[in-house]
Amino acid sequence: MTVTTALVAILLIAAAVGGASYLRAVRLRRQSRLHSLPIYHGVHAVLWSIAPALLVLAAWAPLETRLVDQAVLATPEARALPASPSQRAQILSEARQIAHREIVGGFSPLSRPLAPRILDSERDYGLLGVAAALLAALAGAAFQIYQSRRRAAEFRARASVEKWMNALLLTASLIAIFTTLGIILTLLVESLRFFDLVPPGDFLFGAQWSPPAASQPASSGAFGSIPLFWGTIFIGAIIAMIVAIPLGLMSAIYLTQYANPKLRALLKPLLEILAGVPTVVYGYFAALTIGPAVRSLGLTLGLHASSESALAAGLVMGIMIIPFVSSMADDSIAAVPSAMRDGSLALGATGSETIRQVLLPAALPGVVGGILLAVSRAIGETMIVVMAAGLAANLTANPFASVTTVTVQIVQLLTGDQEFDSAKTLAAFALGLVLFLITLALNLVALTVVRRYREAYE
Amino acid sequence: MSSAAQLGAVTRWTGAAMRSRLRRRYRSERIFKLLGLGAVGLSLAFLAFLLLTMLWRGFGGLSLHFLTASDSTDPALAGVWGALKGSFLTIVVTMLLAFPIGVLSAVYLEEFAPRNRLTDVIEVSINNLAAVPSIIFGLLGLAVFLNVMNLPRSAPLVGGMTLALMTMPVIVIAGRNAITSVPPSIRDAALGVGASRMQVVFHHVLPLALPGILTGTIIGMARALGETAPLLMIGMRAFITTPPGGISDAATVLPVQIFLWSDEVSRAFVQKTSAAILVLLVFMLLMNGLAIYLRNRFERRW
Repeated sequence: MTVTTALVAILLIAAAVGGASYLRAVRLRRQSRLHSLPIYHGVHAVLWSIAPALLVLAAWAPLETRLVDQAVLATPEARALPASPSQRAQILSEARQIAHREIVGGFSPLSRPLAPRILDSERDYGLLGVAAALLAALAGAAFQIYQSRRRAAEFRARASVEKWMNALLLTASLIAIFTTLGIILTLLVESLRFFDLVPPGDFLFGAQWSPPAASQPASSGAFGSIPLFWGTIFIGAIIAMIVAIPLGLMSAIYLTQYANPKLRALLKPLLEILAGVPTVVYGYFAALTIGPAVRSLGLTLGLHASSESALAAGLVMGIMIIPFVSSMADDSIAAVPSAMRDGSLALGATGSETIRQVLLPAALPGVVGGILLAVSRAIGETMIVVMAAGLAANLTANPFASVTTVTVQIVQLLTGDQEFDSAKTLAAFALGLVLFLITLALNLVALTVVRRYREAYE
Repeated sequence: MSSAAQLGAVTRWTGAAMRSRLRRRYRSERIFKLLGLGAVGLSLAFLAFLLLTMLWRGFGGLSLHFLTASDSTDPALAGVWGALKGSFLTIVVTMLLAFPIGVLSAVYLEEFAPRNRLTDVIEVSINNLAAVPSIIFGLLGLAVFLNVMNLPRSAPLVGGMTLALMTMPVIVIAGRNAITSVPPSIRDAALGVGASRMQVVFHHVLPLALPGILTGTIIGMARALGETAPLLMIGMRAFITTPPGGISDAATVLPVQIFLWSDEVSRAFVQKTSAAILVLLVFMLLMNGLAIYLRNRFERRW
């Protein structure tokens, strides 16, 4: 609430100062040549009033929570709190939720009397923060006015505004780095905490996966991830690719070499729809239609078959990947110099002979790179396997049996109610780390292969 | 000796051996072509099968009530309005964050970035982020947005932020392609009449690149709209019988609603799930259609 008022006040200050600067520049222009257009004078003033105030507000938000906690712990109502810091923090967070009317009552009776105290000190510190932000806005505005008055018409408002813009552009680009760092750090930190509870050797090379029930200690379960990685590779890199590589490659060949332009313009977007269908739709389709069909097929063959099977998930995932393989193959074939194709045809080879004996061998590195990218996408795919592959961590090569994958287990470990620090939730981050590293390696290798190959023909 | 004789027979264009050999080659040519057509046909047949199955199972479930009601344990009363509103709020947050950040990064990388280590690191990060599995973004959102920043669980705000991190690289890559396709003569002309580099970009290059950027953005948004796994990680699977009022209320989104209903034991939910899938597919189709329309209508070939 106070923050909203503060923002409105800051905007008002910015608008007033900006407007005044703009009008002043317009007046100045009647007397002498301005260095910058009046609009830049206005924008410059707005920036100088808003930016410092926003910085103060952003810095104040986390500080305020801490100050409020301290103030509340110092009140007489907080005397009764237990000494352990973690219990205190829990009661405080309950009290905060009660104060904000997010919950009606907490687990601890001690949290309720603290709620009004929290509201009180939040109001006090909120006001303090707002005052600081307003001061910053005013100071920024005053500094801007001083700067522009001193140099009047020569004031280089445009150059200054463009410096701000440049900083903004750079900041936007840095977000990508921060995201990457954020992913690596969270996965690493949580995985290291997991490896405190479970030795890395047991995790990476153990052949049994049975996480303990919520109330059990970590030692009562087994966290061997081999069955999960086998399931992931079995579905994503074997079954899905058996479907996707021939279909994708042949589609690409047909669309680029045989189909006339009209047919191609019709078929290619239709094929792309396969990549645009949400994965949850594929998952439901696999579970509803393909799963039972695969099961009855397996039973006719006399194999052990369940309705959630590696084959059902892999088939559907393969079909999802077709347009991806197809467009990668398309690019690689298009990159082969047309002199090679023309030369082969001129020697009397038929179209299919040219494709099989000249174009495909020449495009092979690019195609392989594309397939590696497709594998990395299939491995990270979640919803299809969650809905169609099952939860049983079997180490089996029977495609009709239920297997589980890394992504399924991440979802399984993190949904449902549990506290954040248990071995189960941390295991999800360790699985995430390995998944991240594998997809990263696949992508790097694939991109290098593709780039080398492109260079070879340039 | 015999092979030379064979060769002699083959090289005579009218010989019987040559004719049969040519027939064989043409037959394999036809088979190869049919295989290609078959691959395309099989893929499209699967797509048709999927769509028809969903239509057949779900079309009867589409009704005004289904579109305006929220989730319920009773399949007869359950509807998608709550999930739709959650999806809408989430996508709005995603777009407000990912679009400006993506476009500004693309502008920086294409027009202003100096050739140095920092720029290389930015480029590598963006290309990698585009290939990171979506579930990893869910783990990041869970650890950073929920556990470190203490943002509200299950809220469209957090869902939107998580999806924004995922969509941003897609927009950057599309934006860079659109910006490079603007010919340098435009920049030279603007610089020649005295515009600053910033003015060149924001007054001339960006407006010309906008259709391409928008096409990429809409495709990225459509992907975010269909995304399920990262939202499961941050708890957007709450059972909610009233539609969310704002971006910090607990909510669910359409794909997650589909996932939750698909787990229901009651047979009546099969129709609900399929109907919800139809609604989702209609939205995806609309967005992709809009992207294709924009591309065809506004994209200029230089």
